[in-house]
Amino acid sequence: MNEENQKGSLHPLTLATNEAVSILRDLGFEVALGPELEDDWHNFGALNFPDNHPARDMQDTFFIKNKEGMILRTHTSNTQIRYMENLVKSGGHPPFAIAVPGKVFRNESTDSGHEMQFYQIEGLMIGEDISIAHMKGVLLEFFKRFFVGENVDVRLRPSFFPFVEPGFEIDLKKGDKWFELLGAGMVHPNVLKNCGIDGEKYQGFAFGVGLDRLTMMKYKIPDIRVLYQGDLRLNQF
Amino acid sequence: MKISYNWLQKYFKEKLPDPEVVAQGIIFHSFEVEEIEKVGNDTVFEIKILPDRAHDCLCHFGIAKEISVIFGIKIKEEIVLEHSKNLPRSELEIKVNNSNCRRYMGRVMKGVKVEASPYWLSSAMISIGQKSINNIVDATNYVMYDLGNPIHAFDLDKLASPKIIIEKAKNNEKFILLDDKEVTLDETILTIRDEKDALAVAGVKGGKKAEINNNTKNIVIEVANFEPFSTRKAAKKLGIFTDSAKRFENEIPTELAPVVMDRITSLIQEVAGGEICEIIDIYDNKEEIRKLIFTEKYLKNMLGLEIPSGSINDILDRFGYEYVNEAGTYKITIPYLRLDISGPHDMVEEIGRIYGYDKVVPVLPKLDFEIKENKIWTDINNSRSYLKGLEYREVMNYAFSNKGEVEVMASASDKSFLRTNLTDGMRKSYELNKFNLPLLDCREIKIFEIGTIFLKDREEIHVAYGDKKEIKEMSLDKFIVEKVSQEFLQTKTLPLEIHRHSLGDQKPFKPWSVYPFISRDIAVWVPADEDKNKLKNILLEEGTELLVKEPYLFDSFSKDGKTSYAYRLVFQSYDKTLTDEEINPIMEKINLKISSLGWQVR
Repeated sequence: MNEENQKGSLHPLTLATNEAVSILRDLGFEVALGPELEDDWHNFGALNFPDNHPARDMQDTFFIKNKEGMILRTHTSNTQIRYMENLVKSGGHPPFAIAVPGKVFRNESTDSGHEMQFYQIEGLMIGEDISIAHMKGVLLEFFKRFFVGENVDVRLRPSFFPFVEPGFEIDLKKGDKWFELLGAGMVHPNVLKNCGIDGEKYQGFAFGVGLDRLTMMKYKIPDIRVLYQGDLRLNQF
Repeated sequence: MKISYNWLQKYFKEKLPDPEVVAQGIIFHSFEVEEIEKVGNDTVFEIKILPDRAHDCLCHFGIAKEISVIFGIKIKEEIVLEHSKNLPRSELEIKVNNSNCRRYMGRVMKGVKVEASPYWLSSAMISIGQKSINNIVDATNYVMYDLGNPIHAFDLDKLASPKIIIEKAKNNEKFILLDDKEVTLDETILTIRDEKDALAVAGVKGGKKAEINNNTKNIVIEVANFEPFSTRKAAKKLGIFTDSAKRFENEIPTELAPVVMDRITSLIQEVAGGEICEIIDIYDNKEEIRKLIFTEKYLKNMLGLEIPSGSINDILDRFGYEYVNEAGTYKITIPYLRLDISGPHDMVEEIGRIYGYDKVVPVLPKLDFEIKENKIWTDINNSRSYLKGLEYREVMNYAFSNKGEVEVMASASDKSFLRTNLTDGMRKSYELNKFNLPLLDCREIKIFEIGTIFLKDREEIHVAYGDKKEIKEMSLDKFIVEKVSQEFLQTKTLPLEIHRHSLGDQKPFKPWSVYPFISRDIAVWVPADEDKNKLKNILLEEGTELLVKEPYLFDSFSKDGKTSYAYRLVFQSYDKTLTDEEINPIMEKINLKISSLGWQVR
């Protein structure tokens, strides 16, 4: 019998996710998970999105029929709120750092780079003196390890997400090319306040990166849609 | 929004840096520039203004201010109101009956001449992708794209009487828009009216009744400020998304109106002549002056970078902030145009982005935090490892389905329910993969999926696994307790650690062909002492480039000093459907080669 050929295998997204989680754990982040079907407060309100505000148009949201205020989470940032609420409820306080891998949903038409469902990994680190320099350090180290063997660098551009201030788009340099890759920022004091954490004493950063995109970059997969076809021809790694 | 380089230049005495340099400055200090396009002798930037700055930067003045700060070049002149003194009163009356109109400025201009716009004005409109209509309408649009506050102009003589009333529409009120489309209003929608009819949906779009045309002589200029949420709701309800509605829904500073009225007055007089009357300004709740305090220490703690006081002062000066600095504590008056700034955290961005985020040196943090295991994550990974060990292969299917207990609204797809099980998706996946079995290097299809399912009152993580006999599905908890052996769980100390490849070793994804494949099996008796790779190499060589994958050894056994190897060959083209006529000669050549070595094909 050919012993090589009868083997189990994992989906490339699983491989990339496990690798991302494993790197973040080494960098001091604990895994936290949250629900995919979420209420408005955890996905938007607590994250400093005012009701009926244009900022909500930035995320094409799936609303649930006959369940007012329920949506499919548009980002893993809901778990920031759930983690911090639970921490405060159980008498805890910062410092902490969490990594949140998970599936998110956007109501948009699909093409080679967009899907209605995809995976993100979120990082959140809060302490007394956690700064933009630390955010840059963690992300640079993350990409160095994720794309080991390649020259990588990161750069920050100003951007806006309601739950951070300052907010950034972060570009990754891989080889000699720059890729627009993730959103990040310093957690907005309102977000900490909404979870019962003292925003004058504590501060820190959050970032969210698309795992599908990382998987596609790592394995050179040209089309996001092949990831969710249930097709074993994808399990080449 | 489209921003014209030539238009920006009007704000500066100095020649602006080249368009590319301006774009780079904006990208790394302010906003994303999505496109740079040459339009005639102009360059037009498509700049992505996000909701935090839409109130002051959806206009050329806003971008000019950013450029002034980024490059340290001064904007030409401070704004002076020219048309404020000794003007005749008009017969116009204005009455505001609803607080969602935060400010309403109206001014009559008499004896204007409506005609085509002068070349500079029409080409400015065209450069930013707008149509040129006539001198009055173009002037109102020009000033909106210049300063950000939408403006409307009515034909005064078409009003029932010289009186403008701002109040809610009536229920089921029919209203004909400027583009002749009819909409039905209701009493949640704010309107601008005369004593009989609606003239405009406040902040959204004007109506036919008081439209400016070539016969118009006397006009009312409206520079108003409408409350963002109610404007947004009205626009959404009517399905009318105008540049005006977009600006009001993002909130416009009420203090901007006098400047805008002055500018539009000058421009209309320049392009259409006319006599200027006094402004009527209904403005009951004035904005308060807001202040904030931040310290150098806070800035340093947030940025992880020490910016010298001199540089902080310089940046604040370039922005034109009024401030006092007492031993590193800055007391700042927030400019009325900056609705986005409320606390010290906003100043981290304001100063950091101009100083340059590239100057922040990466530092790895040291956190006094002990990591705990996440039980669900551990369970998921143990289940995966366990099933992989049992030769199952992982698939992922869509969370959406055409039936279920939870339905999403307005999906872009035909599948608007969330799955209640993994089994349905797994069945389809099994059928697909069974068909591709010869491509997959295995004797039978064994697949698994771990994912969330959605029931009426909850979501649950499930594990499903199966083969040709059946697909089993259960909750993750149950799977761990009932299926995964204790021995496995105990020896699996680090389920998450996987070997990291260097990228040099990482073989890239090989896309598959969309054309059908042809598979052929071949079994050969080879002397037992022969190198076992020799046969495989013959198959690889003679199989030609149509061999889509390595030959798969699916059976072997030895008997009487000979070994039988059974290989599956899969032929497939990336360009066409293969036929037997193309494959038969290849198989013949393989058979000949094998016979020539004295081996037997079984």
